[in-house]
Amino acid sequence: MKDPEVEEPRGDELLRALASLRLEIRSRFPERGPVRPPVGESEWARLYTDLRRRIATLGMSERSGEVDEFGMDEVVVDRARPILDLLFDRWFRVDLAGAAELPERGPALLVANHSGLLPWDGLMLCQAVERFHASHRRPRFLVADWLITLPFVQPYLARLGGVRACRENAERLLSTGHFVVAFPEGVKGAAKVFRERYRVKRFGRGGVVRVALETGVPLVPVGIVGAEEAHPLLFKWTTPARSFGLPFVPVTPTFPLLGPLGGLPLPTKWVIRIGAPIPLDHLAPDAGSDELLVSRLTEELRSQVQSLVDVALAERESVWG
Amino acid sequence: MSAPGVIAVTGLGSFVGRRLVERLLARSPHLRIVGLDQRRPFRLDGRVSFHRIDLTEPTVDGRIAEILERERVEAVVHAAFRNEPTSDVEMDHEIETIGSLHVMHACAAAKVKRLVVSSSTMLYGPRPDNPNFLSEAHPLRGHPEAHCVANRAEMEQLLAEWRVRHPDTEVTVLRHCWTMGPGVWNRVARYFSLPVVPMLLGYDPLIQFVHEDDCLHAYERATREPHPGVYNVVGRGVAPLSTLLRLAGKRILPLPAPILFRMAYYPSQAQTGDPPAAFYDYLRWLWVADGARGFDAFGEPVYTTKEAWISFVSARRMRRYR
Repeated sequence: MKDPEVEEPRGDELLRALASLRLEIRSRFPERGPVRPPVGESEWARLYTDLRRRIATLGMSERSGEVDEFGMDEVVVDRARPILDLLFDRWFRVDLAGAAELPERGPALLVANHSGLLPWDGLMLCQAVERFHASHRRPRFLVADWLITLPFVQPYLARLGGVRACRENAERLLSTGHFVVAFPEGVKGAAKVFRERYRVKRFGRGGVVRVALETGVPLVPVGIVGAEEAHPLLFKWTTPARSFGLPFVPVTPTFPLLGPLGGLPLPTKWVIRIGAPIPLDHLAPDAGSDELLVSRLTEELRSQVQSLVDVALAERESVWG
Repeated sequence: MSAPGVIAVTGLGSFVGRRLVERLLARSPHLRIVGLDQRRPFRLDGRVSFHRIDLTEPTVDGRIAEILERERVEAVVHAAFRNEPTSDVEMDHEIETIGSLHVMHACAAAKVKRLVVSSSTMLYGPRPDNPNFLSEAHPLRGHPEAHCVANRAEMEQLLAEWRVRHPDTEVTVLRHCWTMGPGVWNRVARYFSLPVVPMLLGYDPLIQFVHEDDCLHAYERATREPHPGVYNVVGRGVAPLSTLLRLAGKRILPLPAPILFRMAYYPSQAQTGDPPAAFYDYLRWLWVADGARGFDAFGEPVYTTKEAWISFVSARRMRRYR
């Protein structure tokens, strides 16, 4: 039988040997220092690596990677803000009134008329509320389905705060206290031909009112004038559209003629009027199942938006302001 | 019904089946597992009594019922699903849909008290007109070209009908999204491990993952506790696909959809039996599920989507993932 006291120093010896071995290895392989940037790298090489990085991420390399649950990226919004401000102040020279009508805290459903093909009206209204409302909250805007299906457009719209227009999304946003901008005219509104430009069309099937009734948030009518002339739609060209799977190809004075430059909006004078909220507190939460009430409220809302548009038109001196 | 003492697991070799059995055995010393599968697993714990069962045989439901009765099984976990679709489309249908039907019939005949069925949020389908968060009540629209998704959607429909006829059995359906973690190796993980990851040009959807531990935790609790109903099992938070790939330091190759689909057509058909759209549409449109019900029932997940992804990437990197 072995004495444990004899065993003890042997273990110690082994440990000491291991430690010295480790020291030996360390001394032979010096630790790797920080990677030094390559000296004398040419301008072209740097350009090449930069380009490769940018192509790989397709211009989205500046995003933060932190998005909220609906995909809005604060960094992208911050980067877009100067451009949107420039459009707001210099290009469209937006004349805004009524930002104080929105509630100080808590959610609200902003309902605006829609026009002008591209979602400039949504972006400008968001910009207006964020800059001129006391709480400086950025509203989220609901985007029509057909814009969501377009490549490139959808990722950017989501990062700027656009959300697909559907009831589930609106309810979720409102229940978390957001301002939500809705355009219940939908594609009918975006695709108004020029002679009908100031007429507010039918408001969907009353979904907006139903969402407001169920969540108990105030409905705020908004009239926007100017977007319709930014992309004046002369007529809808349906023949070539079928082969692309689009509802129609819009023909504006600039669009198919100037190619991609036609996507640039004309510098029209904009007027945004935010009306007094329509209170819905006195109605029962299950009032949404009363179809007649919903359709009456929807029509009331539509006529309020129409009168705001009329007021805005009367205040604007000319299209170019 | 209290915690069951004897649990039968179909699909002992599948990802969910194997992991769940390991987990259940590790947690409870007095539990007995009845394992059913086509093939005997390589390693088998002493507390697992294994039975070779081929779900594609015509009268297999009677045999399963007999085993369930003989072993006095109290709860059945049905996880006999393909980990990934195979090119044998007919066989996949036989196993996933008809096989599930056999399992349901056996459970009814043996009067099993609890049935836990593995499903997937992929069944909601990637659609541009999906809401940002799909609830459990959303219709299972699937993908027109993904045959395994169609099989399971059919299975869930059969299960819903079966549930109405057999109200005495507690049925729990767990729809989990793509799992991520150190132990995950399937089609999704393979795609993300490609040296250059192809993406659809112009699309960058929000992606949702659940960590394998959180996923199996939900399965474990659904097996031990009464949670009848359908639950989405997902991680908290979402992240854009490009962000995830950049986080992993992957090279991205954005390709227009027609080109990518043509390039990947034959490999995809050979491997999965479906055209590439059946997979890449899940990287094109939104199909994020709302996990609120699952969080309430099974507890808050430990890992968020991004943490699950990082855990997968760092584990792969240890094995020279580039």
